[in-house]
Amino acid sequence: MNDDAELLERIRNGAPDDFAEVVRRHQSRVFAILHRYEHDAHKVEDLAQETFVKAWRALEQFDGRAPFEHWLSRIAVRVALDHLRREKKRRNEIGLLELGEEALEWLRSDDEKSELDGRAAAEILDLALRELSPADRVVITMQEIEGRSVKEICAATGASGVAVRVRALRARAKLKRALEKLVKL
Amino acid sequence: MNERKWKQLFVAARNEAAPAPPTEFEANVLRAIRRERRTETPEMLSIFDQLNLLFPRLAWAAAAIIALSVVADWGLTAVGVPGLGDGVSQISAQWLLTSNGF
Repeated sequence: MNDDAELLERIRNGAPDDFAEVVRRHQSRVFAILHRYEHDAHKVEDLAQETFVKAWRALEQFDGRAPFEHWLSRIAVRVALDHLRREKKRRNEIGLLELGEEALEWLRSDDEKSELDGRAAAEILDLALRELSPADRVVITMQEIEGRSVKEICAATGASGVAVRVRALRARAKLKRALEKLVKL
Repeated sequence: MNERKWKQLFVAARNEAAPAPPTEFEANVLRAIRRERRTETPEMLSIFDQLNLLFPRLAWAAAAIIALSVVADWGLTAVGVPGLGDGVSQISAQWLLTSNGF
């Protein structure tokens, strides 16, 4: 079985257990996408499972015009967006207590040589990004962290190019304000 | 926050590794899919559900029996044969409502 199309055809023709192979091939990518929006490993796993179950349900709708991994990524982004909307209601407040020592030190430091590791950066961004709407958060995460183009963001979110550009500008400004707020706390 | 720190923050965030999927992850996904397929198949109907489904037919059957009885009673009375109503009155008078009770 060399490519996704062949594998998906087999699944559609009555070999549902072959979906395990689809999961094996794409799980790392799905985990990487979801990890940008949720840092709790257990929750990431739940969201990844939700993504694959949704993909399974919608498999008949996949027409093969775009690569399967793009289609699956779009589902993962939507799952992340729904998750952020649910979480937004639950945790909206900013608290420095949630930041580790290294993150706090970096925020307060003016030293050009101060180092920042991925974990601390994720903590800071996670806290600051709570100030943004879920849709703004998805756009800024895809653009600034994942390094995706506007076209790719449009494909993943279903928004128009103009909407993505406007949202990205607004999200960037909001994130800057949120980060300033964190520095001053 | 200046541009240098902004860039440093995103570069560091980009480098953060995502958690590796657990070894049994695909098995969990397949289990979830099987569970979902099971819930999609119709369940056995309970006795109450079956009665509920039969209720309109039972109601029509009861109405038909009542109508038939009324018509029969009216027909029998018309041809001079004691009808059902007369029969019931006779039984009541003779047996159930006698002066000494039973």
